[in-house]
Amino acid sequence: MTAHAVEGDGPLLDGPLLDGPLLDDSASAGGAFIGAEFVGAVVGSPGVAAAIDALGLAGLLAARSEARRLVEDDGITYGVGARARTWTIDPLPLVIGTDEWARLEAGLRQRALVLDLVLTDLYGERRLLRERLLPPELVLGHPGFLPQVDGIRLPGDRQLIQVATDLVRDDTGAWTAVADRTQVPSGSGYAMANRRITSRVMAGLHRRTPLARLRGFFDTMRTTLLSIAPEDLDLPRVALLSPGAESETAFEIAFLSTLLGFPVVESEDLTTRGGRIHIRSADKTEPIDVLLRRVDAAYSDPLDLRPDSRLGATGLIEASRRGRISVANPLGAGVLESPALLAHLPQLTRQLLGEDALLPSAPTWWGGEPQGQAYLLNNLDRLVLKGFSREIRPEATFGWELSAAAKADLAAAIAARPWEWTGQEPMPGSTAPVVTAAGLQPRRVVLRTFAVAHDSSYVILPGGLARVAARPDQHLIANATGALTKDVWVLAPAGTGVERITLDQRPQATPLRLAPAVAPRVADNLFWVGRYAERADGLARLLRVGDDLVEDFGARPGTPGHATMQAVITALAALTRTPSIEADPVVGLRGLTLDADRTGTLAYAVTRLIGATYQVRDQLSQDIWIVLGRLERALREIPRDEAQLQPQLARILESLLAIAGILAESMVRDATWGFLDGGIRLERAMNTAALLRHTVIAQRAPVVDGQVAESALLASESILTHRRRTVAGLGPAAPVSSALTLLLTDETNPRSVAYQLRRLADAMDLVGDPTAAATARALLADVTRVDAEGAASGDRTEFATFLDTLDLALRDLGAHIERVHFARKATQHSLPIGWSLTTEGAGRGAE
Amino acid sequence: MAQSDADFLPRTYRVRHTTRYTYDEDVVGCYERGFLSLRPTPTQTLRAIEVTVSPEPDVNAAHWDFFGNESFYVEVRTPHTTFEATMDAEVAVDWAPVDVAALDRLTVAESVAAIRAEDVDPVLETAYRLPSALVELGPRVAEFADTILAPERALGEALTDLYRTIYRDFAYRKGATSVRTTLPEILDLRAGVCQDFAHLAIGALRSVGLPARYVSGYIETAPPPGKAKLAGSDATHAWVSVRVPGGGWVDLDPTNDHFADSRYIVTAWGRDFRDVSPLKGVIFTEAKHSTLDVAVDVTRLEAPTRDA
Repeated sequence: MTAHAVEGDGPLLDGPLLDGPLLDDSASAGGAFIGAEFVGAVVGSPGVAAAIDALGLAGLLAARSEARRLVEDDGITYGVGARARTWTIDPLPLVIGTDEWARLEAGLRQRALVLDLVLTDLYGERRLLRERLLPPELVLGHPGFLPQVDGIRLPGDRQLIQVATDLVRDDTGAWTAVADRTQVPSGSGYAMANRRITSRVMAGLHRRTPLARLRGFFDTMRTTLLSIAPEDLDLPRVALLSPGAESETAFEIAFLSTLLGFPVVESEDLTTRGGRIHIRSADKTEPIDVLLRRVDAAYSDPLDLRPDSRLGATGLIEASRRGRISVANPLGAGVLESPALLAHLPQLTRQLLGEDALLPSAPTWWGGEPQGQAYLLNNLDRLVLKGFSREIRPEATFGWELSAAAKADLAAAIAARPWEWTGQEPMPGSTAPVVTAAGLQPRRVVLRTFAVAHDSSYVILPGGLARVAARPDQHLIANATGALTKDVWVLAPAGTGVERITLDQRPQATPLRLAPAVAPRVADNLFWVGRYAERADGLARLLRVGDDLVEDFGARPGTPGHATMQAVITALAALTRTPSIEADPVVGLRGLTLDADRTGTLAYAVTRLIGATYQVRDQLSQDIWIVLGRLERALREIPRDEAQLQPQLARILESLLAIAGILAESMVRDATWGFLDGGIRLERAMNTAALLRHTVIAQRAPVVDGQVAESALLASESILTHRRRTVAGLGPAAPVSSALTLLLTDETNPRSVAYQLRRLADAMDLVGDPTAAATARALLADVTRVDAEGAASGDRTEFATFLDTLDLALRDLGAHIERVHFARKATQHSLPIGWSLTTEGAGRGAE
Repeated sequence: MAQSDADFLPRTYRVRHTTRYTYDEDVVGCYERGFLSLRPTPTQTLRAIEVTVSPEPDVNAAHWDFFGNESFYVEVRTPHTTFEATMDAEVAVDWAPVDVAALDRLTVAESVAAIRAEDVDPVLETAYRLPSALVELGPRVAEFADTILAPERALGEALTDLYRTIYRDFAYRKGATSVRTTLPEILDLRAGVCQDFAHLAIGALRSVGLPARYVSGYIETAPPPGKAKLAGSDATHAWVSVRVPGGGWVDLDPTNDHFADSRYIVTAWGRDFRDVSPLKGVIFTEAKHSTLDVAVDVTRLEAPTRDA
């Protein structure tokens, strides 16, 4: 499993998004619960406002905690690991009226078109620079401008495939753009996730409100991505390039993948052949025609861009140049993010479209232009200072917050490197009410909208992602600083019902590809999702049996029950490689259940299961997150010393059963499933064989022998079948023979080794590995030849030898699968570009 | 390296440049970006060129890049422990001596203004005036430029002083610097190699507002007196080209203390070394060790003549 660096992801949602001082009038309404008038004014619709008012504070607080729970269930995160931030949804949507939206939408569409024309020109004719319609410094000095991609063009009318725009209201209440995101515009998936949750926690209101739907936008995105494929292909292959499961927006990438129906790939999954990017896999290698890039351009191609990147596809630029792949947004689109460009957009709109800009931009000055530098220095204390690029300076500075000394330092910094600075007029009055325990409180809000190219124009997501400051006094609104988010409701025009983008809401009739190539990283993680899920399940069952026995017989040495307990504990110790539990079974079993830091424990298996699931979250049903969340919570509760383990084990097993069900019922039976089920089957075959080896096979006094065998049957969920068969006079009566039959040779019992081997063979057929399938079938034949009946009476050493051999064979098979299907790419190196490599400058030696 | 009038006579060279990597284990994928040709310029004409790569590449393609160089992409997927790329070119070279007196008609400040007013190529001239990855502009570089490229100084005199000062005050020392060495560090070290001296000169020129580019190429060397020239003993080289009033560019070589002459053969130019690194690549291998051998031969094919 990979652990990539995440540099490439950048603080995608963390742009310094801000506005000016808070308006006083709304602040005064913050204390007590509010009247419809205030809500109406703020959220934009009197009808919605009345309904919200009717909910009352109690209703809103309930909705807030419900939203919190749903976020946890859906596994919505921003960032992972130590940098994970809870995704917080305020239940009150930001409501935008029909007419207001129509104006905004037209402005956003026009803005996207202008940005597209600028982008096309900058990597084509560069007329804007040659005729100085844009200062060349503004473009050529920006880190987002990549000379390496000069001349590359996507097929189709538009080069800019996606753009996100951050907006605040100006002092007249009109929406004003403060920034554009064109590098890796993120957030549309979060907007969709917010909608799903808000529509549940505000169900009544959502049902009654005629709302523009979001789904159509993603269908358009899908159509557009298919349409930019380099050649006229029937079925272009599209993939999302992710920086990895450690990416801040890993949740969104996986979610988008399911919304769009395109797989997620990482650098490790890709190989370049014949100047074309392919998904690598053991049995076939498939070219990718279109790449939706979630990796910053600088990290996207170690050959032509940052050589230290392990997040990109080697030769991606060359493949693009050769017309073998289309990258969206194209590499180099990041140059449009320059705040300095904002100042020029009105004039560019006139020059390029012959129209006035419909959507205003916040007045912005760039220090790279002489007038701009002077303006920045003269107005330092009232401007919002931003870097010329986020690469140079990711944070914004608020002039009015600076001390005199800090201001002097800033002025000196600007004077020294003026081109690195831009200054923006603060926008005064953009707030939205937020549900707090003390009632609704106004907070600064930024609206992020999303546009996607469609034919020659753009489709705007009828909604967006609203982000609200975490604290009343906060100007910086960034997910990294704990901002809240809101769903954005665009009211549908009267009489249109709920449909808005009718054209694009039709399901796209693109046939799905059969059996896509499964990259080794994906195969590896799916296999281990299967293995750890099964390991946890088997272990939980055995722990339950062991705990019961300890409870009943722990204090009764000398009884057959105590001997049985000892046998099960020994089996547990062997299976988990934890011999220490035999000394104190009570403490031992607790540790085996709860200690996540030790290999072999149940908690450890669950942790690894969750880890593997994160790596392939796009492959699995979203439902799994609800259960994984519950499972994690069940393991986090540490019971009091005297408390029984049973209730906790029951809860854990319940979740594991649910996971098994989700996995079994939500996956198409293709190679993906083959790896997952192969993992389950191999694990269960090994564990069942080991269980038999350590319980049934050891010869004991007949009375103990029978109880031990029944414990093994109990732990393997086969005790009922055993009893039913015994009563009906079917099958061997001796528990030992019955256990060996049911758990080893009986192909009809889904818990038997034979059954696992048959399923394993089928799984290997699915993944296209006839060698492994044949091996599994040969082992199956061996297993079915075993004479289980004879075990009760005869010598069991032969069985022991057989099970040991089987165990070795299964380990070999596992190693074969790992070697053939999970092979890592050879290590990437950059041929040093240092001049230690070139023979040194001529001259002096030869003087 | 001394310069005489004869060095400005036109001549034809054969340039052979071999880059060989050897590894202790197979490389299973090799992707290279490089400048394996000679740039067509007013001072040189390419007569013939052959580029050979071994093992046989799966892709060997070229395009003209943003800076007007021919940029090669080479992909080799045949597992190999030796990679070799050879350029074998024949080129006619003819540089005229720089007319320093003509340059002296304008001061540095007047030249900067004149070039801005001419505005011949707003795109590339801007690119060559801005700081770049390896040419950071800052107070140290500005201070270095201050006296040498003082505004009131005559341009020809100032440019001459620029290469002279670097030649005089900086020691040529291999290994003293790396690709990460910054200009302030070079100013402290007072040492470096041709790439460093070129970057420093470019930094000085840009900090007073003159567009300056990094030129990558070759130079013919003479063996020590009385010794025969050794095969493969020539070298890649780097120097500086600066925009001067009237639309032209003047090439100066701070490593060798003069303006360029007909011994200078151009591969490619860009903002700095990063844009024109001769051959860089990404390889996939479990090899632990690699060695690099570079052999360059610059051989005169015909005697220099003015009237040929």
